[in-house]
Amino acid sequence: MREGVMQGDGHGRERAAEREADRQPDLMVDADELREQVRDKYREVALSPHAGHHFHTGRRAADLMGYPKTVVDALPDRAVESFAGVGNPFSLRPIPAGSRVVDVGSGAGFDSFVAADQVGPQGRVVGVDMTPEMLTKSRATAAQLGLTHVEFREGLAERLPVEDGWADVVISNGVINLCPDKKAAFTEIQRVLRPGGVLQFADIANGRPVPVEAMRQIDLWTG
Amino acid sequence: MLEDCGFVDIAIGPPVDTFAGAPGEDKARSYAVFGHAFLATRP
Repeated sequence: MREGVMQGDGHGRERAAEREADRQPDLMVDADELREQVRDKYREVALSPHAGHHFHTGRRAADLMGYPKTVVDALPDRAVESFAGVGNPFSLRPIPAGSRVVDVGSGAGFDSFVAADQVGPQGRVVGVDMTPEMLTKSRATAAQLGLTHVEFREGLAERLPVEDGWADVVISNGVINLCPDKKAAFTEIQRVLRPGGVLQFADIANGRPVPVEAMRQIDLWTG
Repeated sequence: MLEDCGFVDIAIGPPVDTFAGAPGEDKARSYAVFGHAFLATRP
C-alpha cells in the first residue's frame, strides 16, 4: 500500500533502513507488519483527524494532556487537528531557548511547533516521521506559519536521519510504545543526543501486565 | 529500560488519564493504561 506514496530512490533507502533496523531479538510481533499498521492508522489521523479514533485527537487531546490553552490557541487548526499524543513532553521541563531539538514521530507537527516556539529563532527543530501523509501535512503547516527553523524528515525511530550528538533535546509523544524494539529506539536517541542532552517524552505505561499472547496481536498495538 | 540504555537522572511525571472518554477507554482500563511524561539525560 505504500508503493503509491513512497517515491523514487527514497523508497529503496527507507526499506533497506527498515530491514537493517529489524535485525533484532524477539520483538513479539513482525516489525514490518506493525509499521504497516501504524502507518495505516496515522495516515487516517492525518487525512481524517475527526473520524472517531480510539484515542483523542486535536484540541480536545491537547487540553486533556495539559498543554497551555494560550499555546494551543496560537496554532492554526491544521497544526493541531491531527495531534494524537498521550501526554505532554513539556510538562516536566520547558526546552531552553536556542536548543537543537529532534521530535521522534513528529506526526502532523504539533509538538514540533510547540518546541519551535520555546527554542525561538536561534534554535532548531527537526521532526522525524515515517508516514508520508503526516510529513506532507507538517511541512505545509511549517510553510504556512513561516517557520524557517523547523524541518521535517522521513525516517524511523530506530534509524533517525540526524547526525551523532547533534541534539540538545529529543522529544517524543506516544511513539516509543509503537516501536517494535524499544531498546533500539532509545539507543538511537542516545546516539543523536549530545553528552548531557535531555530526552523528554510522553508515552503510555500499563499498570497491569499484558499477557504475552495479547502482545503478539498487532491489532492491540494500534487499536 | 531507560537505565538499561544508559540514561541517567530519570524522572517520571504524574499519570494522565489519556483515554478517558475516548472509544479506547475500556481497553485502556483493562490494562490500567495511563500517559506519563519522562525525563532522562545522556551522561
